[in-house]
Order: sequence, then structure tokens, then C-alpha cells
Amino acid sequence: MTIERAHWPEPVPDRLQQLWLTLVVIAGAVPLLSWLDWRIAVLVVALFALRLVALRWHGAQPGRWLLVLLTLAAVANCLYVYGNLSGRQGGAALFLSMLALKLLELRARRDLQLVAILLGFLVVVQFLFDQSLGLALYLALVIGGMLALLADLNGAAGGGRLRPALTTTTRLALQALPLTLVLFLLFPRLSAPLWDLGLDAEQARTGFSDTMEPGAVSELVVNGELAFRVRFYATPPPPEQRYWRGLVLWQTDGRRWTVGEPPQGGPVSLALAAAADRLDYEVVLEPTDRRWLFALDLPVAAEGAAFAPDHLLRARRAVESALRYRVRSALDYRTSPPSAALRDYALRLPAATITPRMRALVASWRGEGADDQAVVRRALAHFNREAFHYTLLPPPLGPNPVDAFLFETRRGFCEHYASSFATLMRLAGIPSRVVLGYLGSEPNAIGGYHMVWQSDAHAWVEVLLPGRGWVRVDPTAAVDPSRIDNQSASRLLGAGNPVRFELTQGAWLAQLARGARQFADSIDAAWQDWVLDFSAEDQLGLLQRLGLGRLGEYGLAVLMVATFSLTLGAVLLGLVRAPRVSDPLVSRHARFCRRLARIGLAPHPGEGPQDHGRRVIAARPDLAAPVSRFLALYLPARFGPAPDPRAVVRLDALLRGFRPRRRR
Amino acid sequence: MSRSPERARWRGWFAARFDAMLRRARSDPDGVVRIGARQIYILPTRFGLVFGAVLLVMLLGSLNYQNNLGLLFTFFLAAVALLAMHHAWFNLLGLELQARPGAAVFAGEPARFTLSVRGRGRRARADLRLSGAEDAAAPLAVPGDEQRGCALAVTTRRRGWQPLGEVRVETCHPLGLFRAWCHTLPQAATLVYPAPAQRAPPPLGTGAGARAQPLGTGGGVEDYVGARDYRHGDSPRHLDWKAYARERGLLTKQFEGEQGRELWIEWAALATADPEARLTELARQLLDAAAAGARFGLRLPGVEEPLAAGEAQLQRCLTRLALFGQEGGDDH
Repeated sequence: MTIERAHWPEPVPDRLQQLWLTLVVIAGAVPLLSWLDWRIAVLVVALFALRLVALRWHGAQPGRWLLVLLTLAAVANCLYVYGNLSGRQGGAALFLSMLALKLLELRARRDLQLVAILLGFLVVVQFLFDQSLGLALYLALVIGGMLALLADLNGAAGGGRLRPALTTTTRLALQALPLTLVLFLLFPRLSAPLWDLGLDAEQARTGFSDTMEPGAVSELVVNGELAFRVRFYATPPPPEQRYWRGLVLWQTDGRRWTVGEPPQGGPVSLALAAAADRLDYEVVLEPTDRRWLFALDLPVAAEGAAFAPDHLLRARRAVESALRYRVRSALDYRTSPPSAALRDYALRLPAATITPRMRALVASWRGEGADDQAVVRRALAHFNREAFHYTLLPPPLGPNPVDAFLFETRRGFCEHYASSFATLMRLAGIPSRVVLGYLGSEPNAIGGYHMVWQSDAHAWVEVLLPGRGWVRVDPTAAVDPSRIDNQSASRLLGAGNPVRFELTQGAWLAQLARGARQFADSIDAAWQDWVLDFSAEDQLGLLQRLGLGRLGEYGLAVLMVATFSLTLGAVLLGLVRAPRVSDPLVSRHARFCRRLARIGLAPHPGEGPQDHGRRVIAARPDLAAPVSRFLALYLPARFGPAPDPRAVVRLDALLRGFRPRRRR
Repeated sequence: MSRSPERARWRGWFAARFDAMLRRARSDPDGVVRIGARQIYILPTRFGLVFGAVLLVMLLGSLNYQNNLGLLFTFFLAAVALLAMHHAWFNLLGLELQARPGAAVFAGEPARFTLSVRGRGRRARADLRLSGAEDAAAPLAVPGDEQRGCALAVTTRRRGWQPLGEVRVETCHPLGLFRAWCHTLPQAATLVYPAPAQRAPPPLGTGAGARAQPLGTGGGVEDYVGARDYRHGDSPRHLDWKAYARERGLLTKQFEGEQGRELWIEWAALATADPEARLTELARQLLDAAAAGARFGLRLPGVEEPLAAGEAQLQRCLTRLALFGQEGGDDH
């Protein structure tokens, strides 16, 4: 026997709901558009515009064939721009285009519901591109708008349009927050990906390249982004010691310095002849898409990173999302002497770019029979004494930049100094190499860590001195402070000024801006620490702190289920108990029953008021009048179609005189 | 092909078993159905299933790419969905339903029932959909501690008491992800009169020297005195078609000569073999007599309704017909 059920026709979404959905989708798509190619953005924005126009004028609604054509065009557009539809950007572009197209086809309620849930997917896709706190908050609002639309689509909440939907959503969201937190903390994570769809980063990141030529570092310096954060476990080193090594360049063609192919030979030698002033710290590196890591000069041990030749740290794969690693560095060290082949490699010079006046300069230092150390000292003195200027806006150099810089322009940035200094050292027969990295760090008092910005990028030189190994020399630091061009730096950098420029003019404004930057970054860092970097490892740490470490992932799962159930129970208890407020009529009836209970005539469980009344009258005919009068008032007021608004008052009056006594 | 009746029987058997297993909320002695926790069923809607599938994809993707923000949002949506399930359940829990029958109808007409819904406590209820076997009411919202009503119609086929039958209360509140429903059995029954026959032999007139005179046959024999609003059961021959054509509504012409007569409408006076058919003819006679303004009485085997005139007498007599031969009918 199958019952043919009556069914409700699916409600047709009205214009307000369509507009609402369109606006929420647009809001959710805006961040993604900024990471996609402009040709994708143009198509999607055009589709959105068409949707809005068609909402206003129905004639603009594209027909079925036009929609098919538009779909084909959108797919072709994605293929043309990205060449594939499975990469991160290609996939996201295709998904967004299809979502925008689906917006043009909102016939029934289920179309709106489908778009709404796909919007949830779109939001999560964006986190593959950016995971900043601001974006997360913004997209949380988008999700809220989407849930409110679902509540409105379900309808019949009564009392206006927007209010009930928003109230429902807010309540749901607030109740969902504790559950979300429990799941986030305890849901078992994977420690390694199960599969890789090749969603590789395809966008250019700011950061070092593995070559250096005039202008390369200064380009980076004007970039205001964060390079990495450092948390020192003990007292941080003094600022002049904060050289963060990243790359070592061996080879030059007179203009460019590159890594080259130094004959390292054999296993990587990390042996240090001496190491003191050890210092432990943790680095959280922003994505670079490169493998090199930065460590304080000179790392001796590392966790979460591997060692490479020349005492450098390398990540196991390209850093596509923030990477956390721990390092121990020795500030005072002496490296062991390199092989003869390496020593020779560090002396190679492109003969074509060596000019007679360079030779003469070096000869003048060497001529007085000085040893290598004295030559280095004289060279630095030369940079200090002569009119060398330190500026971010150096004049253009000719085909031989080292020569032009040394003898003509004498204005340059760290790469000019490092490049020419290293060249001169090699000319003097002292092995030398260029090091790229960052100099300095800005303490963040709020977050208790140090920030290193892209604008702190720096280049310096290491020379090989007999008996001392590789020694760090920073020719830029030799420049007379009076010849540092503050003006161009502050104009270019504003608050992002490297600490080493030591701004004095307009200091309070810069301080204010710097304070604001520190505050903003400490929030970002907390976000990074507590949300983005929360991992399987942290979960196990949490378990261990609870004394459940032995149980491993199973313990985590059990703990999750238990905590989740408890939280859910608490939330539901609030749901049941809070709204139960007594009905004035019911409370009158309860009082009526209590009075009758005194004479042993309480209602039986499950007995309705009418049956109870009949039983009372049968037992005590003398009470027939008040009891039947009470029920005659109470029953229609409580269950009748049009309750008497004065029923409560009249019931009260009746109850005042109703005090039944036991019969003797 | 030969197996199909067999299969249909099996399917029917299973459906009946399943139907018998369903829990239903029944009326209390005071006629109120209270929806309890054990009588509420809940399942995801189709949209809920799609939502779940998308969440699963989001979860796997976020886990795989170790994207904590993706996980955070996925968990949030999952928690919202789970709470939506409980909200749907709470939306039905503690609802009180009471059904009241509408006016009596003739068999074949829809019987209307009024249902009033109230929620215990201050919790507002939203998106309550009440449906019977054939009819569905518009979704209701019931503010806390208030009462809202709606109507359901049931098609009648036979005379007697027509119960409302099972009423399903369902809700997709708050997001349409889950549908919670409850089978309720509110106690309410409408009286169904036998459908009046198209034509019936005229009843016997009584009184001094009265001849058997056919009623309502004389087109213009009697004096036309005026028109009144059409009542169900009026003879179509007395309809004022001209007035109807002028869009003045359905009117019945009244004739002087029929008033003041006395008629006995008798079971025994009819010769039709089928008792139900005889009842329909009696109904027709009663309607005609009332339409003519006569004083009439009804004699059924074992039952007699004395002579009287007017609408109340018509209802009394029709009730006799409706419940004739039905056991326990007089209890209502």
C-alpha cells in the first residue's frame, strides 16, 4: 500500500534571492580573480555583469544556445590562457568560469542551492593561493552570506525577509564555532600528501634569484614584504652580527655573479676548526618557491632543513608554503681550510674586465709588503676614505661595471660594493666569494620575535685568510655614514626602511608606522603559528601533554570523538533548555493541579485535563462547579482556535477562590 | 510478465510491514497530538547529500594539501550541517497538533479539517509543512507560545464518519539540508452525508386529503415568489439560470405552492434494492423537501425523525442517513 503523498511545488526563487546569491558569489570570487590571468577575469566579470543586467531586464537573459556557446568559450579561454585545466590556476579558472555561467541559469531553488554549496568549494580553493588572516575573515563573511541565503531559501521563518535568515545563520554559526574548534584541533592530519595533482605554485614570488648583478638586490629592497620571522630561544645577537646567509656565489663574468660549479669534491665538509657563541632559534620562512634557507652566520646544526656545501641550509623541496625550521648557529667560528682546487676556483677572474687602474689600486695596497689581512683592511679603508656613496638610486654603469663604479660613479648599493670588493680581492690573490642574504632584523616587541623583511636583503663578501678560514667582510659597512643617502631610501621605502639606515628625520612618524607594522605582523605571526602551521606533530604534542601520547593517532581519534560528543551535547543542552519558558496558561493549570493534588486528586501521568476533570467531579461532586468552570475557560484558551486574551486574568480570579479541602 | 502480480503482492506486503513498523504520534485523550522524540524521523534531503559530497571533497583536498584554513572552513560547514540536523529535529519536538472537523459534506465532496499547531515553550518553529494523504498545506511558521492554523482537505467517497487520517508534519528548517518528519494521527472525523441521487421518486404527501403529488415537477405550475441563495442539493430545475447568466451567482427559485405541505420520507416507500442507492434517493428527497420549504419527517427501519421544517431538520435527517446502519455511529 503506497500512499500517494501530496507534494509541495518547489518554490521559484525570487529576484531578491537571485540578487543575493549573485552578490555573494561576486564577493567570493573577487580575491580569486586577482590571482588569475586578466583574460579569465575579463570573461568572469562580463558574465557577472550579464547576470546583474538580466536580473534587472529579463530580456537580457541568454537563451540555451547562447549559454552553450558561452560555456565552450569559457573552457577555450581557460585552455588558451593556462594550457591545462588541472593545474592550480587552470583548475581554479575553469571552476570559477563555470560557477559564473551557472549563475545565468537559476531556474529553481535547487539551482541556487547548488551554486551556494559550490561557492563553499570556491572559498576553500582560494586558500591554495593565500592563507592570510584578512582573507580568511573576509571569506568567512562570504560563507555567512551563503548560509543566510540557504536559510532564506528554506523560507517560512516568518516576520520579514532578511532578519530571520540572518538570525538563524548567526545562531547556527555561533553554535558551530566550538564544534569547529574541536574538529580543527583533534581531527587527525596527514603527515604527508596522499597524492599530488601537481598543483604547483605557478606565480612569481619575490625573493632572491641565484644570481647577482647591479640592481638585483636594490630591486628587492624596495619590496615591502616579509622574508621570514625568527624566534630566538635566548638573547638575540647584537644587530651588527645578524647576517643571514642564504647563497654563496663563486663565479663572475665581470658583471654577474653566479653560483658557478665550485669543485667541492667528496662529501660536504662542515667541519669547523672552532665554533663558539652558539645560539638556537627558529625561523618561519615565507614561501619563496626556492629551496634555499637562511640562517645566521654560521649554522652548525639544523632541524627541518638539510645542509649544503659552503655551510648553507637547503629545504627538501621548494618552499611553497611557510616553512618552519630550527637552527643552531655559531657566531664566532673558524672554518677549516678548503681544498686547493676550491681555493683556485675562488681566484678566477674574467681577464677582459680587469683594467690597469684596478691592477694599480691593488698593487698599491699590496706594494708595501702587506699580508692578506692588511690588504683587506686597506681595501676597506679605501672605501671609507674615498668619496663612496651608498644609495639606492645609483647612476647607470657602463659595460664594465666594477671599473666604472670604483673609479667613476662611486655610488652604489651593497651589490656594487660586494662585487667590486670581491673582484679586487681576487686580483690581490686573496680567494673570495660573494654571499647573498639578509642583514639585520626588526624585533617585534608584541609578538616576541624578530622580523626580517625583503628590504633587509644584502650582499657581502667572504675572503679566505690563511689560518682563519673564510672570513666575512662587509664592504658596504665601510662606507662613511655621512655618505649614506637617507633621502632616496626613505622616499622609496617609507616605514619599510631597513633598520641599518637609522632614520632620524621624521622619526616619530616612522616609529609610529613601524609600531603599526609590528602589531599587524604579530597578528599574522600568531595566525601562522596557531592556525596555518598546526600539524600532526602539534596534535601529538597536545596528546602527550594530556598524557595520552602512547595512544598515537588512535588516541587522537578517540579523544576527538569524545570531545566532539561532549561539546555537541553542551550545545544541544543549551538549545533545549534556553527557550523553555513557561506558558502562562500552563502555569495556571499546574497551580490548579497542585491544589487538587493536596486532596489526592493529582492528574495521572498521561491523563488529559478533560479526563482528569471528569475524574475529579466523579470523586468530589461538590467541586463540579469550579472545576468545570476552570476547564471551560482553560481548554478553549489553550487549544481553541481564537484564545481569549483575558483568559489568564479570569483563571487567576477563579484560582483565588479555589482551595479544595479533604473531606472529613 | 507472469511474475508481475506476484511481485506487486510482495511489494504490497513489504509496504504494509514497513508501514506497520512506522512510529506514529497519536492523540492524547484530550485530542491533542504531541510529537515526542521517538516519533521523529530524519534524513538528509537531496541537497543535503550534495552538500555532504562537496564537504567530503573539500575535506580530502584540504587534508591532502595540509591546508589548515581549508580544513577550518570545511569543519565549520560540517558543524553547521550537523547542527542543522538537530535544529530540524528540535523544530518538531514538542509540537502540539489538534485537528477539528469542518462542516458535514456530501460524499464525493472534499471534507475540510482545520489543524492548529502550537509549540511548547518560547522556541519559534519555522517551515512546518503539514500534509495529508491528498492535500498539503502551505508551510507554517509558529512563533513561540503561539498557535497557528491551516486546513487540509480529504476526498470523501462513502457516507459515515470520514476520519482525517494520517497527517505528516515535516520540516527542512533551517537550511534545507535535512528533512525531519513525523507521522501523526490526530483524532478528527467529519460527517459525510450520502451523495444525493440525481433523481428520486416523489415522497408521499400527508395531511387531510392529500394526493400523491410529484414535487418539483411543475415548471411554472406554482406561483413564483422569489429567489434565495443556492444551497447544495437544490434541484437544478429550480435554478435561476437567467440570473446566473447575468453573473448574479447561483440562485434557486422558490415557489409558493410547495410551502406548508407535510411529507414523510420513508425507507419503505422506495423500491430500490441496493440499500446505499436507496439512501442516496432518500437524501435527494430530503433536499427537495427542504428546498420546497415543506415540513418533513424521516422514517428508517428502527429510526424515526418526527415532522419539522428548516435547515436544522434537514441536517438531523441527513445525519440519520449518514450513520444509518453504522455501528457506534451515534456515539459521536
